[in-house]
Amino acid sequence: MKFRLPKPTFWTFVLAAIWAAGLFSTLYRFYYGLGAATHLSDRFPWGIWIGFDILIGVGLAAGGFAIAATVYIFNLKAYKPIARSTILTAFLGYVLVITALMFDLGKPYNVWHVIIMWNPHSVMFEVGWCVMLYTTVLFLEFLPVVFERFRLERWQRLFHNITIPLVIIGVLLSTLHQSSLGTLYVLVASKLHPLWYSGMLPVFFFISAIAGGLAMVIFESYLSARAFGKELEHALLVNLSRVIAVVIGIYLVLRIQDMAGRGALNYIVDGSAESIYFLVEILLGFVTPMVLFFIPRVRANKAWLFFGAVLVLFGFIMNRLNVAITGMTRYSGVDYLPSWMELAVTLSVVAAGIVAFRFAVKFLPVFGANEELGVHPPPLIAAGRSGRRAMAVLFAILLLLVAGLGWSLIMHKPNLAPPAPDPAKPLAAESLSYPAPIAFTKAEASPGQVTFNHESHVDQAEPNCKGCHAGLFSVRPPAAPAGQAAAAPTGVGHTQCGTCHNGEKAFNYEESCDGCHISTE
Amino acid sequence: MKAAILTDLTKCVGCEACALACKEINELDRTSANNLLTAYTWSAVENRKGVNIRRQCMHCEEPACASACPVTALTKTPEGAVIYDGHKCMGCRYCMIACPFGIPKYQWDKAIPVIQKCIFCYEKALQKGEQPACTRACPTGATIFGERSALIAEAQRRMAAQPQAYVQHLYGLREAGGTSVFYLSAVPFADLGFPANMIEDPYPRLTWKVLNKIPSIVTTGAAFLAGLWWIVNRRIKLQESPEERS
Repeated sequence: MKFRLPKPTFWTFVLAAIWAAGLFSTLYRFYYGLGAATHLSDRFPWGIWIGFDILIGVGLAAGGFAIAATVYIFNLKAYKPIARSTILTAFLGYVLVITALMFDLGKPYNVWHVIIMWNPHSVMFEVGWCVMLYTTVLFLEFLPVVFERFRLERWQRLFHNITIPLVIIGVLLSTLHQSSLGTLYVLVASKLHPLWYSGMLPVFFFISAIAGGLAMVIFESYLSARAFGKELEHALLVNLSRVIAVVIGIYLVLRIQDMAGRGALNYIVDGSAESIYFLVEILLGFVTPMVLFFIPRVRANKAWLFFGAVLVLFGFIMNRLNVAITGMTRYSGVDYLPSWMELAVTLSVVAAGIVAFRFAVKFLPVFGANEELGVHPPPLIAAGRSGRRAMAVLFAILLLLVAGLGWSLIMHKPNLAPPAPDPAKPLAAESLSYPAPIAFTKAEASPGQVTFNHESHVDQAEPNCKGCHAGLFSVRPPAAPAGQAAAAPTGVGHTQCGTCHNGEKAFNYEESCDGCHISTE
Repeated sequence: MKAAILTDLTKCVGCEACALACKEINELDRTSANNLLTAYTWSAVENRKGVNIRRQCMHCEEPACASACPVTALTKTPEGAVIYDGHKCMGCRYCMIACPFGIPKYQWDKAIPVIQKCIFCYEKALQKGEQPACTRACPTGATIFGERSALIAEAQRRMAAQPQAYVQHLYGLREAGGTSVFYLSAVPFADLGFPANMIEDPYPRLTWKVLNKIPSIVTTGAAFLAGLWWIVNRRIKLQESPEERS
């Protein structure tokens, strides 16, 4: 096999620019630390490396388990032509997620700790294990393609036998961690905005990952068809779009129902920034493509099908970013925007995925299982044939949505407003109780005993301790034996009192000894 | 004994002795500001509306951070302290997301950072039966150390004895299912920047309710998928060669 450098195109330069910026950011991030390279802070500890690279990367790879289940468990062989490229997309997706994670972790070299230091109560622990195992499963699922390329027939037969258990394990692992990414946020009950916080987050994350993952299959097939000049399995994708429409329908009904149950519907119309992000996510990202996919004429059109899939991807991405960033903003009190280096790393990772996919397609028979192309796919959902029943479902869902919105308008009662600030309440003088007068230990040469009185030294109008404590005078009482009163402070002298008794702030100690030293004789 | 700290904000004069004592015993950078919790200030004194507010880790009875940590770097000791092992930590920062009080802080300026927060002077004092540096340093008795139930009783005694001096709310008694650090105040806590919409169940239970379903999801799911595959396959086989029916 001879390797020829491809002729540089416009995209080659774009790629080079992205990777150059990504390489710089990588070095910068690992040398100077997260604080220097990112806009993350104590108030906003998770940014786009979690919100985009991880949450979205994993979610969009969900097509892998959905298609694998369709082909091998539901035995719908018609979908086999897209199985390989979907599994490849998923595998690359997970590898990239793990790569991105290495950027975000403060001590990436400790990532293996999750294998031996078990905390079964931690959602992160479960996500870690599932991602680790499922990436292995995806690798094994994809291996037969490599075996086919190198004609390792014995291995191919061996793997053929374990396909079904592998797919079942893959579906289970995916179900667990797709939902667990939502469970991560179940813990932040008092931080995440009520438009997104719900005990149902694991269910929502799982369902929306199926919609997003299948939309990704359409998106990827469409682009592959253009880029590699292969025939588009249009009929298959049309069927997928119908499935997506139904999945989104279920998703929307569940979400609105859940919000109604939590009394959170009024937040949709309170005009806050969150409500706008929410409406864009739901209306543009979920309702619009659902409507499009329910109309047979629209989904039959290749361009519209692609456009609908893009909208679903947009809705899915919006949802994850809203949970990870928009919804956490109010609590954090800061407006997080990623730094250019965070963006450069994210873009580099995405670009690496595209390049890896191209290479895999070039050298491996990813689109090889096309001999079954002539088979007409059986309709997945029988209701679609006339379109009438589908329209009924659509209208029912829309009706529910409209009813929910109407209800929220009626019940409108914004209660997210921060509590009105009280006028600053100064510390009332009478509430101060001063420590007892302090008699300092008298030195031999001292003209008289000094007794310090807090009352005459604190500005009654603006009581404040910090002027003297703990910088000038220690407030740590000297250790006293148990049962005895603390000893009188020692080591206080003219230097400290003289800070103020200098003739400017107060009388000069050098001019008047009996101002402080009270002679008892 | 279960250790606890009671901070009576009406007695705090804002001298920051607790903050300095904390930095001294934990060998933290003393030049950083004392009024904001950071990786280098584990005990801070903030002034809001003329009230001095001591901030530190609440040492929850069932800490969200410890439940969130995938590698058990954060743990609750029998004495009551929530402690941290930087050698285990991989830096995912889920504890920071998880903590409802926003306590764990990160060393953003370090190439190899760790989480930092108050650890109740666990090794340096608590384990030896001594009180932590902060309560030892407090000159006014605003923040005191003691047995958890004894401090709750003391706080309730103070609220009952001087009902006009305190809002009738012992912060930490119910918040997040109960903590080991309690606050008394004359001003409502919501006005002092204390998280207000706290739930009164321990936070780890929220996720445990989901996580404990995993074994049943896996077993039922596996049986369901395997059964489905078997039925679908058999039907296809029968369609192809009906004579197998017998």
